[in-house]
Amino acid sequence: MKRRLISALFAATLALTTMCGISVSAEELTFWHVNAEGNDLDVVNAVIDKFNSTTESGYTVVGVPTQNDAYKEKLVIAMSSGECPDMYISWSGGPMNEYIESGFAQPITEQFNNTELPEKLMQGSIAQSSYKDEIYAVPFNGITVSGIYYNKTIFEDLGIEVPTTIGELEAACDTLVENGIVPFALANSTKWTGSMYFMNLAARYGGLEPFQKAVSGEGSFEDECFLWAGEKIQEWVEKGYFPEGVNSLSEDDGQARQLLYTGEAAMTCIGSWYTSTIKNDSEEFFSENIGWFKFPAYEDAPDVDDSILIGTVGDNFISFNCEGEALDAAVEFASMFADDDMVAFAAERGRLRPVNNIMDYVEDPVDQEIMAAVSGASAIQLWYDQYLPPAVANAHLDGLQEVFGLTKTPAEAQAMMQEAMEAYNAEAAE
Amino acid sequence: MNKNSLLIQRQKETNKVAAIFLAPVLIILAVYVFYPIISTFHTSLYKWNGISAEKTFIGLKNWATLIKDGNFWFAFKNNIVIMILSICIQIPLGLAMATFIDFAGKKANVFKVLWFIPMLISSVAIGFLFTYALATKGGIVSAVSNFFGGGNIDLLGNPKTALYTIIAIIAWQFTPFYMVYSMAGFTNISTDVFEAARIDGATRGEYFWKIALPLLMPTLKNAAILSMVGSLKYFDLIYVMTNGGPGRSTELMATYMYKYSFSEFNMGYGSAVAAGMFLLISAIALFTMKVINGKEED
Repeated sequence: MKRRLISALFAATLALTTMCGISVSAEELTFWHVNAEGNDLDVVNAVIDKFNSTTESGYTVVGVPTQNDAYKEKLVIAMSSGECPDMYISWSGGPMNEYIESGFAQPITEQFNNTELPEKLMQGSIAQSSYKDEIYAVPFNGITVSGIYYNKTIFEDLGIEVPTTIGELEAACDTLVENGIVPFALANSTKWTGSMYFMNLAARYGGLEPFQKAVSGEGSFEDECFLWAGEKIQEWVEKGYFPEGVNSLSEDDGQARQLLYTGEAAMTCIGSWYTSTIKNDSEEFFSENIGWFKFPAYEDAPDVDDSILIGTVGDNFISFNCEGEALDAAVEFASMFADDDMVAFAAERGRLRPVNNIMDYVEDPVDQEIMAAVSGASAIQLWYDQYLPPAVANAHLDGLQEVFGLTKTPAEAQAMMQEAMEAYNAEAAE
Repeated sequence: MNKNSLLIQRQKETNKVAAIFLAPVLIILAVYVFYPIISTFHTSLYKWNGISAEKTFIGLKNWATLIKDGNFWFAFKNNIVIMILSICIQIPLGLAMATFIDFAGKKANVFKVLWFIPMLISSVAIGFLFTYALATKGGIVSAVSNFFGGGNIDLLGNPKTALYTIIAIIAWQFTPFYMVYSMAGFTNISTDVFEAARIDGATRGEYFWKIALPLLMPTLKNAAILSMVGSLKYFDLIYVMTNGGPGRSTELMATYMYKYSFSEFNMGYGSAVAAGMFLLISAIALFTMKVINGKEED
């Protein structure tokens, strides 16, 4: 008897869950995003609630949060099986272009210009949302640039000044090493973390032109700025600027942060989401110890603009896979992320929307410094691994990890990257 | 005459019932095994990013690339290393554990349970567990080494040791399976055989080497084939622990396929890799079975 009851229950739950899966009506717009937990989820839900209670379009939005790691695969599978959601986020760059080329993202230039977004959003974020002269996405999630977080207390104790040139940075590192402190907390099993150092070094040595030329095929990833960046990294590895076993430490498990918290390491070059990450771990540690500076200039390259930053203005971009009235409603929804009350609500929770007046909302001194650097930047280059076609990005990350491990020379790694780029360009030309 | 028609009728009924009983399995196999295999081979003839509606037919171009693809053959070599070492480590160790439990009888029940635990943990959890254990900062391996003054040991971050470290962890996970497999083999040997051997004056060692082992041989052969196929299509721990790194040093055929299909938007080539894996694994498995069974007939 009992067993029968249990199986009946099972059957009922099974039936229920199956029904949930198919009960999306025509007036509902599904929105897939990766703000799956805590504050991040709250701020997205706030916008969804606002839209659902105020809109006159007749549509409602249903949010589907997914964990970051599983998201990209889930999206690809949904697209290939004809289940692509009406709205979904991507990180722009190569993959977004791939979605557009495959017909899973509609141009929204017209709808976009009918909203207040063109005035409100930062120019850089709109540029990142565009592809072949049309706007295809609405940036909403944040402004993220890479720079160096450092432990003020350690710097003061050892009498180290905030470095403004790479020479000074190296001198600071030498002092730290002498005192038994690891200069940079880097966990590189994740691969993209090491790329932060590489991108910044290359940009300080040669600006952004070599990168842009290498992508278009005019130049090459074997350009001297990339080789120099790789060699610098190996020099730093040999001098002990990075923790032991750098390639097996995992960023996802917080092993880099741990080194900062215990005072075993003094700096880390990472994206500006670290402000909220560290605050989440310990507000006290953050306010007492953490400072930020932009990646220092290279003294032997005085012509290079050192205001250039590497990062993303927008972080997550909403793409639209719907048409007609549904598309109008969806863009109306997406534009609400830039509404003043929503921007303020997000800023309170540590998320900086890519709007022009964001400085008004920033209260944290470290974030203020970061935003000052952002407004002063002549250009912000999107992360290589998101900008490049995925095959080239993987070649870059794989090769660079071996550069950190001293098992490949920078020349070999760059040749690998160049080969992947050439293969991609050759295929695109076909 | 009459009897014959009855026989025919009965035969017909049996066929009908057989068809009804086999149909579900056949349908499931067709939908989830045969169709995907055919579809994979079919997709491998196209240039396709995995999401767009249009596919471009390019004939055998993906296959030509695959044959010349050094990275794929490097991944294949890694699979072969895993296969050889898995068979050499897991099966003898599993057999030794089973023999111990079999000889020790009821007293060893506690080991039966303890040793089986790794098999019950999911691969992803094992991956995390060992990532922490092997971490250079605070991991147990480095801590022990530090205690004896050896300094940190970075097993996963070094391309020379990463693969072997993972092989050891795979062995930790799967040896219990071969232990249970061998234990089942032991229960199949009648106690009469053991008693007869003892009466004839065989020591326990002699009994194991000269009587039990030959009787267990069919079980062990099957175990070897299972281990072989498992190693060749291996995916999960590598994906969780190193994702093919450092660099590409622990790349396997399956992780290589996954990267192409899902992160590099090249489903056509990813399918070619999958189809290539299918051919290679089938060929190796068939060859091995033939060799093993051929010996049996001698």
